[in-house]
Amino acid sequence: MTRFTRKSIEGAGIGLRTCHYREILGSRPPVAWFEAVADNYLGDGGMPLLHLEQVREHYPMTLHGVGMSLGSTDPLDQAYLRRLGRLIGRIEPAWVSEHLAWISVGGSYLHELLPLPYTQEALEHVAGRISEAQDALGLPLLIENPSSYLVFRGEQMSEPEFLRELVRRTGCGILLDVNNAYVSAMNHGWDPSAYINDLPATAIREIHLAGYEAHENYLFDTHGHRVHPPVWDLYAHAIEVLGPVPTLIEWDTDIPPLETLRDEAGKAQQHLERRRRRAA
Amino acid sequence: MRLGEIQRLFHDAVRSADDDSGAIHEASLAIVGSASLPAREHLLIYRRAVLGTLTRALTEIYPVCRRLTGAEFFDAMSRDYARRTASRSPDLGAYGECFADFIAGFEAARVLPYLADVARLEWCWHRAFHAADRAPFDPAGLAAVEDERQSRIRLALHPSASLLASGYPVHRIWEVNQPEHEVVSSVSLDEGGVRLVVWRQQYDMRIDLLDEREWWLLDAVRSGATLGALSDSPDLPTLLPRCITRGWIAAWKSIDD
Ligand SMILES: [Fe+2]
Repeated sequence: MTRFTRKSIEGAGIGLRTCHYREILGSRPPVAWFEAVADNYLGDGGMPLLHLEQVREHYPMTLHGVGMSLGSTDPLDQAYLRRLGRLIGRIEPAWVSEHLAWISVGGSYLHELLPLPYTQEALEHVAGRISEAQDALGLPLLIENPSSYLVFRGEQMSEPEFLRELVRRTGCGILLDVNNAYVSAMNHGWDPSAYINDLPATAIREIHLAGYEAHENYLFDTHGHRVHPPVWDLYAHAIEVLGPVPTLIEWDTDIPPLETLRDEAGKAQQHLERRRRRAA
Repeated sequence: MRLGEIQRLFHDAVRSADDDSGAIHEASLAIVGSASLPAREHLLIYRRAVLGTLTRALTEIYPVCRRLTGAEFFDAMSRDYARRTASRSPDLGAYGECFADFIAGFEAARVLPYLADVARLEWCWHRAFHAADRAPFDPAGLAAVEDERQSRIRLALHPSASLLASGYPVHRIWEVNQPEHEVVSSVSLDEGGVRLVVWRQQYDMRIDLLDEREWWLLDAVRSGATLGALSDSPDLPTLLPRCITRGWIAAWKSIDD
């Protein structure tokens, strides 16, 4: 039995933020879909869950997690998975995504998406963890490429290769964050277009777009700006290769009025429609 | 190097007290540096990000404290807390539970003797905000329990409720420092101490003042007293229904169940 619309996720959506609830519920602006950060709704009750359910009544929704610590060598937190499972039951998202990263070790949580060394050992470990989480939740996850600021010595494969192997071994999908790909590529001297060409194309179900911050010697991913021009260009390349994949505007810090997010989503929508017309 | 070893090394570097520690130097050896950015600098990007995330979490939970101390003082104090205190849960909202105790021992905050209690109040508020909506309570069912089993009933507070006693009028300090509070007003510390229950009635956040007897009962309930242990108190027949009607006491069960 399902309580909510099964309308599918298509076109350009927006990341759901607390400061926009009132406007969304009051005027129900035309937004293709919303993505909620699951970790903000893992409490037992209260206003956040009430608002989330109210938004869900009118819009298709996906859930995006940051707390699973898939890459960690600690055991998976079963209580966390149970809470996430309970939220999935309540919200009936179209899908759930997490990051190719770790956030904790030795029971100490750093709450930042920390990089993995792309080695055979890490691949086996993370593949096992994704399978375990997917079994516990009863659904396939989308795994997102993180922004990264360092590369470990002795890495044995590229990030796209690592992701390709995860898809092959676990059946997970991929969430391609074009901004993260651009930030990592610039920080490590990778070719961003080649990065996208190397990804397992058919596994990519969702794209993220966001803004970074340029520092003197590196790009830092704040998700606190409009999408930068070179990221739009890379996005155009991505949907050329991948097709009109559902795309989300993410904005996590210094959150602007909903209007600004809708404006960014509108640009992504135009890209997607042009791409669709070319395909037709 | 094994994955677990790399993660511990990285963790210790990112959590180290200063940005020139032995842990950072050790971890840099596992990282590819570049001409424009030495290996150590790559780690420091993460170190700053982690400290920033933890301190931002405190800023969100403790806005009144921040307003009372000023942003600069608060940010320095929360960075100090974040450096010393690890997060032990995937839920960032669980971080900062011991911030009030930290403030109580924070030398430079002594000029605001009520600050730690204001932090306690803000933590109770934060906790209530995300707590379960209701507990199952059946007053009729409680009355129906046979007399001889009544003494073996254990009551429970509403799942969102926390009790807070302070020697300062913290509820008033809190109130006049809310963003929507328009008139500039001051609170006299001579108003004296308070006993509070901070909770959420459905979706309505509440800070209720308790009299001495209400506090006594709620505190006993919180500590797990049975009805039998409370029954010596002559005012229980009026006190208990009042606390139930207000919504503070919201569940019960027989300790035999
Ligand atoms: Fe993203």
